[in-house]
Amino acid sequence: MADLFSGLTLGFSVALTLQNIGLAFLGCLVGTLIGVLPGVGPVATIAMLLPLTFSLDPASALIMLAGIYYGAQYGGSTTAILVNMPGEASSLVTALDGHQMARQGRAGVALGIAAIGSFFAGTVATFFIAILGTPLTKLALLFGPAEYFSLMVVGLVFAVVLARGSVLKAVAMIVVGILLSTVGLDLETGQERMTFGSQLLLDGIEFTVIGVGIFGIAEILRNLEAVETRDTVRQAIGRLIPSRSEFKQAYPSVIRGTFLGSVLGILPGNGAVLAPFASYTLEKKLAKNSSRFGHGAIEGVAGPESANNAGAQTSFIPLLTLGIPPNAVMALMVGAMTIHGIVPGPQVMTRNPDLFWGMIASMWVGNLMLLVINLPLIGAWVRLLKVPYRIMFPAILMFSCIGIYSINSLSTDVLFIGFFGIIGYMLLKLDFEPAPMLLGFVLGRLMEENLRRALVISRGSLETFMERPVSAALLVAALILLVLAVLPSIRKGRDKVFTE
Amino acid sequence: MSTQAASSCQQNGRRLQKDLAGGLLLVFLACLALWVNRDLPQGSLDAIGPAMLPNSLAIAVGLCGFLLLMSGSIREGERVEGLNVRAAIFVILAIVAFAGTVRPMTIGPLTTPGLGIAVAGILTIMIGGFASPDARLKELIVLALGLTPACMLLFGDLLNLPIPTYPQYLNSIVPPGWSQKGILRGIVALMFVSSAAIWALGRNRPRSHPETE
Repeated sequence: MADLFSGLTLGFSVALTLQNIGLAFLGCLVGTLIGVLPGVGPVATIAMLLPLTFSLDPASALIMLAGIYYGAQYGGSTTAILVNMPGEASSLVTALDGHQMARQGRAGVALGIAAIGSFFAGTVATFFIAILGTPLTKLALLFGPAEYFSLMVVGLVFAVVLARGSVLKAVAMIVVGILLSTVGLDLETGQERMTFGSQLLLDGIEFTVIGVGIFGIAEILRNLEAVETRDTVRQAIGRLIPSRSEFKQAYPSVIRGTFLGSVLGILPGNGAVLAPFASYTLEKKLAKNSSRFGHGAIEGVAGPESANNAGAQTSFIPLLTLGIPPNAVMALMVGAMTIHGIVPGPQVMTRNPDLFWGMIASMWVGNLMLLVINLPLIGAWVRLLKVPYRIMFPAILMFSCIGIYSINSLSTDVLFIGFFGIIGYMLLKLDFEPAPMLLGFVLGRLMEENLRRALVISRGSLETFMERPVSAALLVAALILLVLAVLPSIRKGRDKVFTE
Repeated sequence: MSTQAASSCQQNGRRLQKDLAGGLLLVFLACLALWVNRDLPQGSLDAIGPAMLPNSLAIAVGLCGFLLLMSGSIREGERVEGLNVRAAIFVILAIVAFAGTVRPMTIGPLTTPGLGIAVAGILTIMIGGFASPDARLKELIVLALGLTPACMLLFGDLLNLPIPTYPQYLNSIVPPGWSQKGILRGIVALMFVSSAAIWALGRNRPRSHPETE
């Protein structure tokens, strides 16, 4: 406990310098600005804005990035409520009741409760991370390569379970993602793999390039397909602060959502994406009159939004303690840390305590910023959302090009976002979900490294994965998960959650 | 190759099934990976070679593709919808234009001039804008001339990132003593003013000549 308080004190002394508060503020602001644009989710937003943090010192850079992340998240919810055009799976649920509330002239209350719920969830999740950080870091030190490998297998299986549609396609996407991650020099032998003899591919494929291509460019192509029928709310936004009775109705959902999200967020394999769906289903089950859901029930906004934010935050835990990015956003964080010479993992806490605790403290500061800047700025976001898409997407296109170019100063990276944009568009057309592929890509290199290390230790015996108890338990868990995902009755339930 | 197949089927009024097309794509990818790695050593489990993992993954991808092909041929599934070719072409052209002009790029015997964001940004917006069928030229000009200088200021002036902001040759023709930042700010101001001017023109015109819009 004493550790925790000295850690948090250190953290706040880092996060609360004038410069870092300013950066958290700026990060939240630009993150929301880009995140509000329809079809631009957190991954594309962060990848585009990554260069903004290059000239900062590591702690400040991560603080600003965290701000961008929360801003992008909240921007997505704003769009979901006001436009009913959710860019990201996580704001899909918010759109259900949030947009209905907006049509009833209660957009302000929906946005308000989303912000307040997110702030509460963020605060709890911050403490959650602070409390769990130290013990989990110690646990991580006991993990050998075999355990790491098995844990990542669990993560990938989890991603299959969470993917919508065909299980076979999700598995295929994950394997393709891992395959893509093996492009480049083989780390041990230095031989070129699948580079097609090109210098450009020697270092492998840049994650930001795939992210912007598949989540930014492909999304533009898809949005351009439909004739523009954006139904931005015409009704008044109304007051922002929920009334006493609305608050009374919503606060239990906020608390339930927060805990659900905090727990799911820790799971490897992007458990956070499940949080809003799970919360919505739970709220609907618990409600006395579930027919209100889908017609502007405040619980349907409060619960999922809190769960979403809590999950978004606790998904930092696997990254900070184990060095395993559980989702694409965290993979970008790894990229950002590597640029500043930090290798994410259990050693960060001991070697860079100011960074570790500063980041945790800045999460809370970031959440506060969201509350402070977003509520007064809602008018500005509404106006921004009235800009027609034909003007918005060329701007998104240019930001993507400039952002990607700035990361490595390579024109070829820009060409590659076009290439992956087309690939992503084709995948969408063929009903392949790109998210599992990205996770496979993110974890691929780490998995190969740990697999090879484990096999060197065991002298080539695959049994090592079953002989070591932790690793065996993880693999069994993965197998059970996979079987559950394929069982028809569970699949029906899963599809129901996603289609609701 | 699956898209070609898809589009040829489309012309016959019948489109390829999604599962069949997806399966073909995966099998193609698997074969490509195996072919590229044909000369790399596999190694054995106690001394894994560089090709072992990629090849096993490629086989797994191929297997998934095969299963998809099977399921696609057994039952009638959804068919591939038409691709938005116009959007894809203009978006790709815009990206290529940016990559080719932001700084000198050599493609075979050709080297493009390095023109910086000032030109690359405008080109991206102008070309990319036409990906939408409701593109309006004047709107795009105003947007291009307004947004590009904003990005130049942010990336070149405020953040000092090593991204070229304006055409290189300007440095050699301006009088000595002009700083790079000075040139940058001058160009930015010029672009903002012209953007505002064109916007203002556009506002008055529909009123005086309603038939031209």
